[in-house]
Amino acid sequence: MANRDENAMWSIFGYLLSGLIFWGGIGYGLDKWLDKGIFTLIGLLVGISGAIYLVWLRFGRE
Amino acid sequence: MRVLLRSAEGEGFVPPSTKDFELPPIFGDNVYTTKPILLVFLSVILISVFFILSARKAAIVPSKFQFAGESVYSFVRENLAKEVIGHEFMRFVPYLFTLFTFILVNNLFGIIPLIQFPTMSHVSFPYVLALSTYLVFHYVGIRKQGAFKYFKEILFMPGVPKAAYILITPLEILTFFVVRPLTLSLRLFANMFAGHLLLLVFILGGEHLLQGVIGLKLISPFAFAIGIVLTFFEFMVQCLQAYIFTLLAALYIAGALADEH
Amino acid sequence: MEGTLNLVGFGLAAIGPGIATGLIFAAYINGVARQPEARSVLQPIAFLGFALAEALALFGLVLAFVL
Repeated sequence: MANRDENAMWSIFGYLLSGLIFWGGIGYGLDKWLDKGIFTLIGLLVGISGAIYLVWLRFGRE
Repeated sequence: MRVLLRSAEGEGFVPPSTKDFELPPIFGDNVYTTKPILLVFLSVILISVFFILSARKAAIVPSKFQFAGESVYSFVRENLAKEVIGHEFMRFVPYLFTLFTFILVNNLFGIIPLIQFPTMSHVSFPYVLALSTYLVFHYVGIRKQGAFKYFKEILFMPGVPKAAYILITPLEILTFFVVRPLTLSLRLFANMFAGHLLLLVFILGGEHLLQGVIGLKLISPFAFAIGIVLTFFEFMVQCLQAYIFTLLAALYIAGALADEH
Repeated sequence: MEGTLNLVGFGLAAIGPGIATGLIFAAYINGVARQPEARSVLQPIAFLGFALAEALALFGLVLAFVL
């Protein structure tokens, strides 16, 4: 179906954004709590890789 | 890192900003009678009158008026509802049709002379539309598949190692319940807001140039010309955004109805 | 005018992913138009490429706010 492409693009965008927000947010909170500076970056990387993994699961396996 | 830029001449041209969207109440101090709210009522009246008139004297050989009304209806029914949702589409045609015409008319207020304010550039209107869509598609999904199965299918994808759920289930929750309605409304809002701001920049800028020295006066027609071209561009964007909002609403309903993702 | 320079940086950082997304979907549309039955093969690849390009753009967006 032609309309699935449109939907898929916005879902991919949503997954990537929520991955960055969620895990990056956890990293940011850890940074504030422990007074370090590294967890934000780790959180962002974990979030983006989780989101790409999820995109692969949803759209890449077919 | 915050910076402050001062323009060199600074002759008092105030660039349009978010303050241009905060319109004062029209009747006295009543905060509920600002321009956007009156425009919403106007749009409802316009849509109702148009479609009641076009459907009242329905004939087999349609008049031009009836033809216009029917082509909008059949566009939503065939291209949006039937193609996306499938065999159960008839239940959702009224909702999608209302959504499409309401957004379209409210967007077009942005370029109609004398009105020239897209209602949807106030973020609360898209929020309400997205919220109602959100309630509709979750309700439909829960009704169709049962609450437990519906949420289980969203949150836990089959065929994934157990440890990966820690990584991806939060993302699914956030995407389905926060990011989706938010992007749905913010896309419409941002397009209307930016479009109105763009038109303001060129029209007000052209007007300001007209009051400058002779060299600037010669430039101002170009600013107005670009403003007119951008008005046609805005017309396209406004139709497209109404279409995309309705299309995504239909796609979400279709996704909630489908048994298997 | 007052504003933050981070957003200028984000604007510059978004050029690359923008071009990349355009190229990916140009190639995808081309491929499907020439050979419609190849859609099921091309679709996952196009979406994964899109996800990777989009990830960079969103990374820029987040870093513009965090830094």
